Amino acid sequence: MKLILSTSNIMSGGPSVIRRPMFEKSNAELTSSLRENFTISQRASTPLTNGNAGPAKPSFRSWTTQQGSAIYVPSHAPSPLVEPRESYDITVKLFFLPNIPSDRRSAQTREAIDLVLRELGTTSIDLLIVSFPGISFDADDEESDSDEPLTPPSNPTTEGGCSDSGVMPEDIDTMVATWRTLEKLHEEKLVSKLGIAEFGVQRLNKFLPQTKVKPTVNQINVRDCCVVPKPLILYAKKEGIELLTHNDCTNVLPPGTLREILGSGDRGAGVLAGEGNTEGLKGDVQPQWVVKYTAVVKDRGVVESKGYFAVAELNEAA
Amino acid sequence: MPKSEMLTKFCRRKIAKEHMATTEYPITLTTFPRLGTPDCTTPSYPVSGPKLRSQYVPDEIANPHIRFPTLAANIRWRRGRKVEVNVPVFRDEKTQWPWKDPSVNYDLHNWPEDDDVRNGAVKDNYIYMDAMAFGMGSCCLQITFQAKNIEEGRKMYDQLSPLGPILLALTAATPIYKGFLADTDVRWNQISRAVDDRTPEELGEKPLQNDRWRLPKSRYASNSTYISQDSRLRKEYLDPNLIVDQDLKQRLLDGGMDDLLATHFAHLFIRDPIVVFNEDLKSLDLSKADHFENLQSTNWQHMRFKPPPPGSDTGWRVEFRPMEIQITDFENAALSVFIVLITRAILSFDLNFYMPITRVSENMETAHIRDAVSTEKFWFRKNPFSTRPSRTTNGTGESTPVGSRPSTPFGPVEDEYEQMSINEVINGQQIEGGFPGLIPLVESYLNSMNVDVETRCELARYLDLIRKRADGTYWTAAKWIREFVRKHPKYQHDSVVDDEISFDLVKAAEQITQEEGRDGLGWEMLGKRR
Repeated sequence: MKLILSTSNIMSGGPSVIRRPMFEKSNAELTSSLRENFTISQRASTPLTNGNAGPAKPSFRSWTTQQGSAIYVPSHAPSPLVEPRESYDITVKLFFLPNIPSDRRSAQTREAIDLVLRELGTTSIDLLIVSFPGISFDADDEESDSDEPLTPPSNPTTEGGCSDSGVMPEDIDTMVATWRTLEKLHEEKLVSKLGIAEFGVQRLNKFLPQTKVKPTVNQINVRDCCVVPKPLILYAKKEGIELLTHNDCTNVLPPGTLREILGSGDRGAGVLAGEGNTEGLKGDVQPQWVVKYTAVVKDRGVVESKGYFAVAELNEAA
Repeated sequence: MPKSEMLTKFCRRKIAKEHMATTEYPITLTTFPRLGTPDCTTPSYPVSGPKLRSQYVPDEIANPHIRFPTLAANIRWRRGRKVEVNVPVFRDEKTQWPWKDPSVNYDLHNWPEDDDVRNGAVKDNYIYMDAMAFGMGSCCLQITFQAKNIEEGRKMYDQLSPLGPILLALTAATPIYKGFLADTDVRWNQISRAVDDRTPEELGEKPLQNDRWRLPKSRYASNSTYISQDSRLRKEYLDPNLIVDQDLKQRLLDGGMDDLLATHFAHLFIRDPIVVFNEDLKSLDLSKADHFENLQSTNWQHMRFKPPPPGSDTGWRVEFRPMEIQITDFENAALSVFIVLITRAILSFDLNFYMPITRVSENMETAHIRDAVSTEKFWFRKNPFSTRPSRTTNGTGESTPVGSRPSTPFGPVEDEYEQMSINEVINGQQIEGGFPGLIPLVESYLNSMNVDVETRCELARYLDLIRKRADGTYWTAAKWIREFVRKHPKYQHDSVVDDEISFDLVKAAEQITQEEGRDGLGWEMLGKRR
């Protein structure tokens, strides 16, 4: 069984898109907007009663949709872009998660792109950035000659921060193998530009010669963008790679977090069985990948649509 | 260096400098500290000219284009006396109290208006000024935005309105008038009074006989109404006592204009035109908008809604007008970019800053209070977010957005806003469910955009300046200038800013313009810059 989780467009979502402190990496945007979208869908599926606070949570079947072996959580309908396609810059970031076999990535990438294209009602993407598990820019660049040392997050596992997946970055060959899938999408003109995240100079040096389509973007997370290591800036300039900023967690959806969001606890959506919820799905959920999409009206710098899809496997045999 | 800074640094100041004498330098102070003192202009001209009839500034101070002296003369004529620009004086340790402006000449008899000072125009404890130049001679930072269409323009106009007083207080830079320390920090009300053409009847000093209405505000004042056809605009936000020309409004309505916009224009049109060119009265050319622009451009509100000029492809625009000019290009770039980013965040997140417009006017007054940025509280909306559209699910699993939930009943308007410090508005309230803060909203917007590291670094410097101005780490220019005067060895602690102090202040402004704090001068405003 596969679970397809979605946030819908989070731009009008209010508090879930705002977080503090600003430079802290965080997956709070994903987790709180998932929760919010679930709550809204639950509320919409509950017939209005006599004004009292609703009864217990509605059955998850009422606000989710099963199609074959996939369950959409919540039930989902696309919200296509309003203006003509050429008005937009569409960026998609695909997060591969730790401990998921990399041979699934080809299919996962197709699936992710397909979901986003359908959501936005379009046929192509401007920039696709791939995030490999275990990579962290801060620790990665040993060659930094910056005057001021980059400070790693002082407390990386605090609430709202990023939890460490504990996995090492994978070897270059695995990354290159994944990259071939992206190159294929580029060839098919589904994606115009490709990007990577958190690569330092050394990794770029090993990676670039093996690519057929070079990444044009390297997205890095630095608390203070004014202290990006000089060598990386020079290298990127030489290779024609644009250095962009982000503040996403690499390990954007740890299994424990997902279990809590879907579970039967106080803060859970009641999709998974648990105490007092025998109707819920039984088994172990394993997040597979997450995709973030952003559609910006180019001329005006207005973010019209932004959201996430996350896919998890439910192993009922567990 | 980003383009915005480069433009002023390498273009405008440079071009200005090229047209100046070697002893001159283009600085951006809001006002010249000793404007209106004897010999304050070079070359020197006699005061009490026929156009301004001011006892402080010569007619030559006005732009020689016929429009400007005429404007000043017509305002005076309509008022029936000179303008009265009274600013409270700053009471220092040795300031005589009550304080009587020592620079008033009560014995001038060149013009009928010279009687003004003998008829109560001068007030105890106020600095007295008597000409349009004291207000309209100010320098400020105004930004015009292009909207994609009229709807977006109307929305930006409304949403930026409540930010006006906040940005006015944050940019405060005007603590000196006519050689005296003032007890206020910003220029706004002085300009308002310097072009106030209301008659005694309109001001409520005499019973209404010839004039049509009492007017609570000068034609230079904060906005008085909202204009967006936005479902979030509650009628409670509008001012029930707004003065409009009802006949004119009816004509606009009859012509197909909607009520909100008709109200806006019918409000602007309660004013008389101040300058009309003779030739424009000979025949009415409807292909031009001169008569409209004439009234529009002499209604100086803190936002301006600008319809496209006829026959051009310029679209709908909105101007944000309250900010004070800062000494350095860096600060001016920071504030300009900040406002641009706020508009992008407003449009992207569909933010809602609505509150009763009369509260905005109230905030405008609060912004004048000395050091308002760190001592005062301003009315502001608590929750800027709109309710997320709810979705209904049907049997097939398809869901349809049903738009903003109309089912959510509106609570009392008074519960929607509260008093906040500038720091809370800019940096956010550190409480659960509190106002998130303009900077966190902007940061959140930037996190949704593809921004390269160098640009983000520049933006971080800009936002850091604004963050620290708001939280009190850095001083406003008003505070810095006031302290500069008070620490000057020649200052007698009697509120008087003499020629020597003024000279040193202007030289300091020149140095800060060039060094931007890197040499340590002005670090209280700018921080320790590399």
